[in-house]
Amino acid sequence: MKAISAHYAKLLASSLMLLLVVVTILFLLLEMAPGSPLDALIGDAPVSPEFEAQMVARFGLDQPLWQRYLSYLARVATGDLGMSAISGRPVTELIASRAPYSLVLTAWALAISTAICIVLGAVAARTRRRWLDGSISGGSLVFFSVPNFWLGLMLVWLFAVILDWLPGSGSSPHGEFGVRPEYMILPVITTAMSALAFQTRIMRSSTIEALGQDYIDTARSKGLGANRVLYRHALPNAMLPMITIIGLNIGNLLAGSVVIERVFGWPGMGLLMVDAINQRDNMVVLGVTIVMTVMIIVANILTDIVYGIVDPRLRARFTRSARSQA
Amino acid sequence: MTLNRDRTIGGSTSSVVGDAPSEPVLGPVGTRRRESPTAIFFRKPTAIVFLALLAAMVLVALLGPVFGGDPVSTAHPVMQPPSAEYPLGTDHLGRDFLARVLHGGRLSLFVGFAVALLSMTLGVVIGSLAGYYGGAIDVVLVKIVEFFMAIPGLVLVLVAAAILGANIFIIIAILGLTGWPGVARIMRAETARVAQLGYVESARAAGFRGVRILWSDILPNAIAPVIVSTTMSVGTAILAESGLAFLGIGDANRATWGSLLSDAQPYLSTAWWMALFPGLCIFLVVLAVNMIGDAINDSLNPSIGRVK
Repeated sequence: MKAISAHYAKLLASSLMLLLVVVTILFLLLEMAPGSPLDALIGDAPVSPEFEAQMVARFGLDQPLWQRYLSYLARVATGDLGMSAISGRPVTELIASRAPYSLVLTAWALAISTAICIVLGAVAARTRRRWLDGSISGGSLVFFSVPNFWLGLMLVWLFAVILDWLPGSGSSPHGEFGVRPEYMILPVITTAMSALAFQTRIMRSSTIEALGQDYIDTARSKGLGANRVLYRHALPNAMLPMITIIGLNIGNLLAGSVVIERVFGWPGMGLLMVDAINQRDNMVVLGVTIVMTVMIIVANILTDIVYGIVDPRLRARFTRSARSQA
Repeated sequence: MTLNRDRTIGGSTSSVVGDAPSEPVLGPVGTRRRESPTAIFFRKPTAIVFLALLAAMVLVALLGPVFGGDPVSTAHPVMQPPSAEYPLGTDHLGRDFLARVLHGGRLSLFVGFAVALLSMTLGVVIGSLAGYYGGAIDVVLVKIVEFFMAIPGLVLVLVAAAILGANIFIIIAILGLTGWPGVARIMRAETARVAQLGYVESARAAGFRGVRILWSDILPNAIAPVIVSTTMSVGTAILAESGLAFLGIGDANRATWGSLLSDAQPYLSTAWWMALFPGLCIFLVVLAVNMIGDAINDSLNPSIGRVK
């Protein structure tokens, strides 16, 4: 078991490195921003001289670069992401109130796109080189090329404007909080579509690869039917790469949520970021980026853990090496 | 080259090198001659259709603004749906939408090709150096590639563009800087593979310098997968740029397809044409680029699609 904990320690260390690099890049970007660092920190918001002096003292703007860098790192490490210059509230508080909206959207979209991609990918691999495979493969390339925010706009136009079946904006009726299911349908479909095209392509090729393995020949020679071979023997193995892809997609969907939330006026982290960008509220922009990075890193670690649980071959590798060490 | 031909060893080496691209090293020996990738490419109906589509879009974007009228003139009736006089309608300020889409296309396509070219150049140079020489540059490259695998470039692009300001050249630079590691990863693997081949070995034995071997012996044989990924990165760049422009990050004075969509959103319920056409243009160009990339990939690796 020692090898496994060494593996996770390494994973954790490289994840922390990753976070450090992102925070460093953000710090350098702030330094490179046109205008004085003070302008970059408070953006366009009209602030009192006292607030300005407070910011100078707080961020040590009169200190040399490396000292500011270290104190910025220290603040981020203690979970202090600064104050929003526009609303005057702590950035962490703002993000905490918005993050659940983004997460619920991403989770539903991933669940739906994964379920559909497994079916589509398996069907395409099974009917390889025939019209069904052709249309699934071609269709996935078509959807891969659609700008997802335009797809969202068109869905709003069709279902909210023309047909008037579904609400086109927000997460609940005006003046209410929380999430209503009918408000989720369009954003979830749009988000899922952008993941689905990519996932289906991967699923198809990994199923084709699994179907070419020796144990499939064995299963066939036992006299199993084609469907049973596919569902019992090929699919479970073909689904393994999907775990990695889902992990990758969490990052892509969180990044993409910025655009999709703007389309639907969905009050998540992405919309918070867009509003902050437009108001040049840079502390909020940096805060959302850091929180998204942490979420992506956590997703990567979870992917690794789940992969280890699901694929016994990985665990076997660790136990064997542990035995040989002992 | 003329200098090399005078020397016996150099002459024999360059003849081996010269033959290499036409006679694939990996091809089965003694079987019938493989068809050239170009021939396979042009036999595909989809390849021809989408190449024509892309060529048409590029031509329209290049020439269209000359004939398409003034994109900023507000001398037209406002919010006219598409008609004979205004094929794509007019917008909320009374501007001819056809002219706006044509002008926007020029900028969107320019960004797409410029970013693809930039990330290809960086990726090929860094990837081939890392793959051929290994050592410190290789270690650093692998770390950078891992970084971009874990963190979606779009987030960093968004923050960088938001903080640094959104001049079109800044956006091209940022997209290129986040795009090259993907190319470098492919180039590195290909270079490492080709560098093992016999004719590279003999070039090395003949005493050629590393950079000369990389340029004239390795590059021609390693470039194929890079061309596929560069083709597709035109589409990725156009999507990324239009996404940024949709969020309002871009040059406010020069419309692109993305910023036209951003302007269209508030008028979705009254002026559908403002949202439909720019998005359709983005979609068609990106689709064409992806289909062409797919077809190039198939013609370079004809065995991939074959049933086992």
